[in-house]
Amino acid sequence: MTHESTQITSPPRPSEILLHLGPQHPLQPGPFLLDLKIEGETIREAELKIGYIHKGMEKVFEDRTYIQILPLSDRICYLASNSNNDVYCRGVEELLGIEPTDRAKYLRVLTNELCRIQSHLLGIGEYTTDVGFLTMFIYMVREREGVVSLLEAITGSRLNHNYARFGGVANDLPPGYKEMALKTLGELKKMIKSHDGMLSSDSIYLKRTKGVGVLTAKQAKELGVAGPPLRASGVEYDLRRVEPYLVYDELDFNVITQTDGDVFSRVKVRLLEILESIYIIEQVLDQMPSGKYKQDVMPYITRPKPGEVYSRTEDPRGEMGMYIISDGSDKPYRFRIRGPAFATAQALPPLLVGTYVADVAAIAASMDSCTSEVDR
Amino acid sequence: MIDKTIMIELSDKFPNAVSGVDVPSLNRAVARIDSSKVKEIMQFLLDKGFDHLSCLSGVDYPPDKMEVVYHITSYSGPLVITLKASIPRDDPKIDSLCDIYWNANWYERETYELFGIRFNDCPYLKVLLLPEDMEGEWPLRKDYAGYPNPT
Repeated sequence: MTHESTQITSPPRPSEILLHLGPQHPLQPGPFLLDLKIEGETIREAELKIGYIHKGMEKVFEDRTYIQILPLSDRICYLASNSNNDVYCRGVEELLGIEPTDRAKYLRVLTNELCRIQSHLLGIGEYTTDVGFLTMFIYMVREREGVVSLLEAITGSRLNHNYARFGGVANDLPPGYKEMALKTLGELKKMIKSHDGMLSSDSIYLKRTKGVGVLTAKQAKELGVAGPPLRASGVEYDLRRVEPYLVYDELDFNVITQTDGDVFSRVKVRLLEILESIYIIEQVLDQMPSGKYKQDVMPYITRPKPGEVYSRTEDPRGEMGMYIISDGSDKPYRFRIRGPAFATAQALPPLLVGTYVADVAAIAASMDSCTSEVDR
Repeated sequence: MIDKTIMIELSDKFPNAVSGVDVPSLNRAVARIDSSKVKEIMQFLLDKGFDHLSCLSGVDYPPDKMEVVYHITSYSGPLVITLKASIPRDDPKIDSLCDIYWNANWYERETYELFGIRFNDCPYLKVLLLPEDMEGEWPLRKDYAGYPNPT
């Protein structure tokens, strides 16, 4: 992989066309510009231009107190708001030298996994519309509705949950939650198996996805991707296993991998991860200890000691890292967000070179990018 | 084998370029490095199996210092090595890592446009997130006053 493959180096020759996909295009989950230089139907060069919704979040965070950042950390990527809350809180907790209570750890795992399920459901749904499979989108949104309601029952909101707190979580489970969750997730499990069968047996879908946009394990590591696109290439890299946080080391689950590294595998990994997340949630609901869901004294005015921390989590899209430097004041001196979608977006142009224009939609959408998080 | 002994090997291999080695926990290690030896150190780490550049960013310490911070990890273990290279603030320059870690490219471009740190030999050092007319503003520096209003 050379760096020439990430940019358009020369103006198009007479036999070539420069094609702009975006900044607004139905195949894209947000505004970014994909420039393609095509010859016939083959892509010769590709370049991704981002930054259309750059919000300057790192600068904003450096200007807020730690507790004020908490609701803003949801907004990095609204589909992963629980994960982002959690990774931020774990970072600050490490700086403060406190730990969440046992019950809070389980509650955070529960919401993180629900968050992963709804993100994957919408990701697959958006992707299937891009390959012309609208039925699946409607199914996925219908399934997602139940999962979002489960999150709403805990956190009170449907998109930006703002649930984790330093040393605990915002509130406890509502009464009768376990029965409600098991019922919804049991139905979801059946439906996912049926959707999986539908996607694996549709001959047109298979032709459009099998062997398209192949990323080998070596390439994927070189390009620095993480999360489902990496696991679809056969690399067993999941931070929940590699660097267990919260209570993941007490839970039983498999790291889902596929071997082909193509569009089909990337979607398959997400589908199977939903089943694995349901399995984790079932264990969490069984094993959840009683007790406090937050520390007695919640540090609302936080002045961590000078120091720094790099906390990581397995986001629905891959490896999310937050690098926080504290100088002893109530605001972080430096706040760096390492988004997973940023890394995956960077890997997209080299993947597109040499493929057909007709496959761009399938390949780009299978990376499950989140423009909000790429631009931050 | 990927564990903390890498930090001992690193200090042995580059006795003058690596200082302040600290291992705060099982999965984290921190060191300061000489900014002129960045490429050799990273190549050494890559050969030792640290094949994943997780994060690259800058930190501004006015009035005279800036830091480039690298988080190097691997696809097979939990250890994250944080390496910090100090550079002078009036002439912030450091070698590009694009030859060693492919994905350094966008991180370097981002660090360049937000801090004004130049990466020597970076293949495509242009603004990534900001509008092109903001090149030269360096918004994440601590003394940045705000978006200029030309009228």
